[in-house]
Amino acid sequence: MAGKERSEPIRSVEEINEKIKRGDAVVLTAEEMIDLVESGGLEVAAKEVDVVTTGTFGAMCSSGAFLNFGHANPPIKIFKCWLNDVPVYKGLAAVDGYLGATAMSETRGFEYGGGHVIEAFLSGEEVELRGEAYGTDCYPRRHVETTITLDDLNQAVLVNPRNCYQTYDAATNSSDRVIYTYMGTLLPNYGNVTFSGAGQLNPLCKDRYYETIGIGTRIFLGGGVGYVIGEGTQHSPQGGFGTLMVKGDLKQMNSRYLRGASFYRYGTTLYVGVGIPIPIINMKVAETAALRDEDIYVKIRDYGVPLRPDLRPVVREVSYAELRSGKVTINDRDVPSSSLSSYKMALEIADVLKKWIFEGEFLLTEPVEPLPRYREFKPMKLRRRELTVRDLMRRKVVTASPDDDVRVIAKRLVEKGIDHLPVVDRNSRLVGIVTSWDLAKAIAQDRDRLDEIMTRRVITAHEDEPIDVVVRRMTQHNISGVPVVDRARRVVGILTTDDVSRRLVGGR
Amino acid sequence: MRLRLIYSPSVVEKPILATVILKTGVTINILEAKVDAQRGELVVSIPTEGESLQRVIEMFQDAGVEVQLLTKTLQIDLERCTSCGACISPCPTKALRFRSDWTIDFDEERCVACRVCVKACPVKAISIP
Repeated sequence: MAGKERSEPIRSVEEINEKIKRGDAVVLTAEEMIDLVESGGLEVAAKEVDVVTTGTFGAMCSSGAFLNFGHANPPIKIFKCWLNDVPVYKGLAAVDGYLGATAMSETRGFEYGGGHVIEAFLSGEEVELRGEAYGTDCYPRRHVETTITLDDLNQAVLVNPRNCYQTYDAATNSSDRVIYTYMGTLLPNYGNVTFSGAGQLNPLCKDRYYETIGIGTRIFLGGGVGYVIGEGTQHSPQGGFGTLMVKGDLKQMNSRYLRGASFYRYGTTLYVGVGIPIPIINMKVAETAALRDEDIYVKIRDYGVPLRPDLRPVVREVSYAELRSGKVTINDRDVPSSSLSSYKMALEIADVLKKWIFEGEFLLTEPVEPLPRYREFKPMKLRRRELTVRDLMRRKVVTASPDDDVRVIAKRLVEKGIDHLPVVDRNSRLVGIVTSWDLAKAIAQDRDRLDEIMTRRVITAHEDEPIDVVVRRMTQHNISGVPVVDRARRVVGILTTDDVSRRLVGGR
Repeated sequence: MRLRLIYSPSVVEKPILATVILKTGVTINILEAKVDAQRGELVVSIPTEGESLQRVIEMFQDAGVEVQLLTKTLQIDLERCTSCGACISPCPTKALRFRSDWTIDFDEERCVACRVCVKACPVKAISIP
């Protein structure tokens, strides 16, 4: 079917709302729409179905709430503020604050954060408020400490700058150790794959060309009614990474759909439930509303490489269907895969929204303005060139061969005053490393050849890596030096903690 | 039955496991192993029961290995669990998976109580008593 025909209107949002009010609108969840298209074909489905409901429930770090605490007597212009020891942003008027999901408790750290405070409010708990101020003529009070509940607040408005990622790249880990990330626990040597996103239930996937979702769209947000207030931060539609900025009255929401969470050694966040109705206004929308997990692809990226998100190496492309099957093939091997967002909750949200519409409680809206279909996604501009391994490494490296004699080499280390000795083969490729400690032990144990005592799994660095990253690696492995290798694993230099600390104190 | 075997420095270099297998003919399967010069710790599964199991346990104990029975496995607080799946793929023994309705299914037989899932759960719904 040609593009022009596909965008020909089938029905308007106004007509749909009339049907909703009369109680005869046909509303299906995205899963039911897929089934209908598979059994009856797209044309039939587009003709029959007025609205497709979507849902997603996942960790959305860019979330939080604007709160108004009301004035104390005498009044205070709170300058620093905490709720259950979680810092609240106070660069606003006297008793307004923004509680961010990833703000972490100053007493409980990774365990408890802004997301948990939001959940506590919704569960009806008393939350401890602490405020400090410098005191002014109009706001003389300098300290306040009390407990508050959601009911005590004048306004509590959830305003999430970035929610509802259309799709999100999956994660794996090529390195030799377990890493703990915002994509969960990633086992070494491609031990597992984690992913996020509702795929065939995701709101923006189901209106891929943003024909119905835009500023002003009424949505399900955290169990209450909310609105799309614009594109989300990092909205990057051309790659399939559209995002939404949303708001809604926290007081109408439900802790079932807003859950505080913490990712081990990463930090805290908030699981947010969002559901958006898609009015089937033309064939194009009907077609995208029927997209299946099999049709929606993302990349699997290697989080074992500490690079900017968009530079993390791509292992392969994969569909949500394969991800959701529980195993993904990487290098001809079956690797377990699992989600971080809840498909079960996403289904539930699509169902609840369907019920709201069906019962006439929820009417659809036309966007006041569409979402941008193109946005450049820029990395941070770093003005000062940062130190890389190349800047600090020593290029003159003393090396040895695997068949060298332990005593000869020990003598050489003493003469040169060095501690780390890379062992290389005939083509200068790194095959091991020995330290002065290894040599002392080898002599004590009467060993002869280097290859009897060398460490074969060598932690290395590349010339173009930032110093910070390599120092972190040395700390993690509890070592004091790394050979610097090129892509062919030829030794081109050596970097030790001495080289780094000398630079730090300003020597050389 | 799953056992945790703890080898002290005095026995860590002896081929105790191999001896037990050869003498009893029980095909003991190693699920987890951490061994260094000081200490060894194995989690094994023993595919037998009754007297034969008792004999295996006693042979380890007689050889100086501390034996713990792994009967305590994890508990999932279904009120807190959102069925997100963050615990599933990190589980080394595939003891966690989705049911067809996308709720979490836990297979106690496979669990070795390694606690990976406890760390992986974003809403602290999993605990090991």
